Amino acid sequence: MTRNIKEKIYLLIVFAFTLIAVIPLISVISYVFLQGISAINWDFFTRLPVPFGDPGGGMGNAIVGTFIVVGLACVVGLPIGIFGGIWLALYGNNKKGFVIRYAADVLSSIPTIVIGIFAYVLIVLVMKRFSALAGGFALGIIMIPTVTRTTEEMVKMVPRTLFEAGLALGLPEWKVIMRIIFRTAWSGIFTGIMLSVARITGETAPLLFTAFNSMYWNFAVDQPTATMTVQIYNYAISPFAQWHAKAWAGSLTLMFIVLGVTLLVRKFSRRVHYG
Amino acid sequence: MRSAGDAWFKRIAFAFAASIPVLLLAIIVLLVKQSWLSIHTFGAGFIISSVWDPLADEYGALPFIYGTLVSSIIALIIAVPLGLGCALYLSEVSRSKTKEYIAVMVELLAAIPSVVYGLWGIFVLGPWIANVVQPFLRSIFGFLPIFQGPYSGLSMLSAGVILAIMVLPTITAISREVFNSVPNYLRESALALGATKWETVKIAVLGPARSGIVGAVILGLGRALGETMAVTMVIGNRPEISSSVFAPAYTLASVIANEFAEAVSDINLAVLIELGLVLLFITVVVNGIARLMVWRLTSKVKARP
Amino acid sequence: MDDTLLKAPDPVSCSDLSERMSAHKVNAWFYEKQALHGISMKIYDKKVSAIIGPSGCGKSTFIRCLNRMHETVPGATMKGSIFLDGKDILSKKDVASLRRVVGMVFQKPTPFPTMTVYDNVAAGIKLFGRISEQKLDRVVEQSLRRAALWEEVKDLLDKPGMGLSGGQQQRLCIARALAIEPEVILLDEPCSALDPISTAKIEELIHELKRNYTIVIVTHNMQQAARVADYTGFFLLGEMIEFDVTSKIFTNPRDKRTEDYITGRFG
Repeated sequence: MTRNIKEKIYLLIVFAFTLIAVIPLISVISYVFLQGISAINWDFFTRLPVPFGDPGGGMGNAIVGTFIVVGLACVVGLPIGIFGGIWLALYGNNKKGFVIRYAADVLSSIPTIVIGIFAYVLIVLVMKRFSALAGGFALGIIMIPTVTRTTEEMVKMVPRTLFEAGLALGLPEWKVIMRIIFRTAWSGIFTGIMLSVARITGETAPLLFTAFNSMYWNFAVDQPTATMTVQIYNYAISPFAQWHAKAWAGSLTLMFIVLGVTLLVRKFSRRVHYG
Repeated sequence: MRSAGDAWFKRIAFAFAASIPVLLLAIIVLLVKQSWLSIHTFGAGFIISSVWDPLADEYGALPFIYGTLVSSIIALIIAVPLGLGCALYLSEVSRSKTKEYIAVMVELLAAIPSVVYGLWGIFVLGPWIANVVQPFLRSIFGFLPIFQGPYSGLSMLSAGVILAIMVLPTITAISREVFNSVPNYLRESALALGATKWETVKIAVLGPARSGIVGAVILGLGRALGETMAVTMVIGNRPEISSSVFAPAYTLASVIANEFAEAVSDINLAVLIELGLVLLFITVVVNGIARLMVWRLTSKVKARP
Repeated sequence: MDDTLLKAPDPVSCSDLSERMSAHKVNAWFYEKQALHGISMKIYDKKVSAIIGPSGCGKSTFIRCLNRMHETVPGATMKGSIFLDGKDILSKKDVASLRRVVGMVFQKPTPFPTMTVYDNVAAGIKLFGRISEQKLDRVVEQSLRRAALWEEVKDLLDKPGMGLSGGQQQRLCIARALAIEPEVILLDEPCSALDPISTAKIEELIHELKRNYTIVIVTHNMQQAARVADYTGFFLLGEMIEFDVTSKIFTNPRDKRTEDYITGRFG
């Protein structure tokens, strides 16, 4: 009899904990949606921020800025991640490979704000100016471990016979790799890239003192640039209700992009894990 | 018959791959170099001093180290039972389709940007903690110093709770993988002895999964230690060591986030970079231990005939 | 072949026979795929019944129905009735107490990896209420003796169960099953992962055990069935083709398909 009771308690606890675990998700999503939807309008996407007290205004420059910074991050992170992953999968079964894999692991465990300090020292201090470039560089480094790991895994999954079949056609090895192996592995690699793009789109900490912020339209990569996350942060910690509303609206936009990409990618590939 | 193109391809790919350890090394070297002024000036006393006054050029890291560790420990106290319960539900209890939805939902918790958690923390979680959780805790455990003092939404407790939510997906996902790696024939053996679901978990699953679970917990800890924005937004940002979790505190990551762009002097900047170095050191060590434990478990399971 | 029940061995010639378990028109599925088609079979008390057949014929599925392990697999369902001492086990809610009476040993040796030899044997008993240390010691020793393992492991009781050889591990699992004092023991290809010497030991053990227990063994090895079993059933594609006294099955089968199988013409 007590065994039965223990079993019931166990099931009850497991159900209750699972329920508690999903409450925050529901709460965050519903607050962001309800608070954000009322502050969102066309101007929000197309206009510049306005000083406190002025009506209207938006986050247009920050939305553009986020795309610029993320784009720069891809320029930095993707070549290293993709070619690094290919090298690890095909030639990395040795001591060098072990060191590189280990370094990627350690890199992925470094807090993003520390990566921000690195970008600050390397770029901001040298250029003597905050810039989209510095922000993109920081985010690019954050992408590297994930992209490297997925690329390596996906390339390794391509059957060796395909490689041999390519060689048998008389193609040089590198063409076989890029034309046959890489293309076969591409859909999986793309999934990894998109998940990691979604992740860096939501990053704030490493941008605070690299891309910094700006109240104006900016398309030059060597200038301080507004991003959605930094703008949301600044609005959120301000004392004004009008700006809080903007923070919620910004969060709704950001969540729409980040969760949208994550869910879409998940739908098409169930193999790759987040983070 | 290798062509010149092949040799070049291999060289280029290797150059990209090799840039990963080079980057890692560069991060460590540059951080040490840029914080050298601070390391040189304050020495080891920096770690144990608790005075923080940038205008007087007095710096001590202790309140930040304390805030970082305590907020992460609170997070683990909350997230470990929840995460394990969730992982048990997903891998041992549920057989229905709902479990896939639950798994996706828990995974989505990891996809929500930190700054959005922070916003939600300021306006939803913080007030709830100040108005409901803290009075409740004080009414029951009020005799303990950690549950005394004025209620506040911006507090160590709020930071711990928000961190718990953020590390929950990590702990759940890895524990679930660890449970799934326990071979099914062990569960069947327990069931064949007449064990209930709980007894099956106790005698056949938790034993082999033990070190993997510890690994999952430590990986969660690693994530909590380095988390910045959400914590910065709810912890209250006060560099003091208080005995109460209702009081505001400060973490390594938060002080860097708040003061870096506005550093008043070279030494101030060097100090903040040294704090970054301390944070880097703690998280890399913690993650290293965790990976070792997960790795040892999975290699042991694979070694079975 | 549907009325296999009627073809059970002649009760007059073996007057000590009593029926322990019986299956009536048991059907089993994995999702949409039917694995068993109307199996009916009698299991006699303190006898060894063997089930043979080519792989995929449903013999393991059937034996797993007998202690309701079948239903622990996702998507697995069953219909029909199985009686233990005249009571239908499928209508019972308390699966645990059924499995206590009907124990099971699996194909691969499955000691709990983090437990010692002693704890492995004790794992099952501890589930059924508190027990004094002396009594537990006694039960563990007795079970290991019955499993013919005591002499080999009496000095290794606090060593990990995984440290034993494959054959010893399998006898450890038998000891673990015996410790909860079952009355029927189901052996699901218990020797398929073992070397010939360990197999011989287990077969010897089965001879010993049938004095006190009712045994059902699934095996893909016909010689093994011939050596250890009193009765043998032949399964093919989820149906029971023939069930009879072992010697009859192997010397004078009624069905052409049984004959083909035991003479090695297929399977």
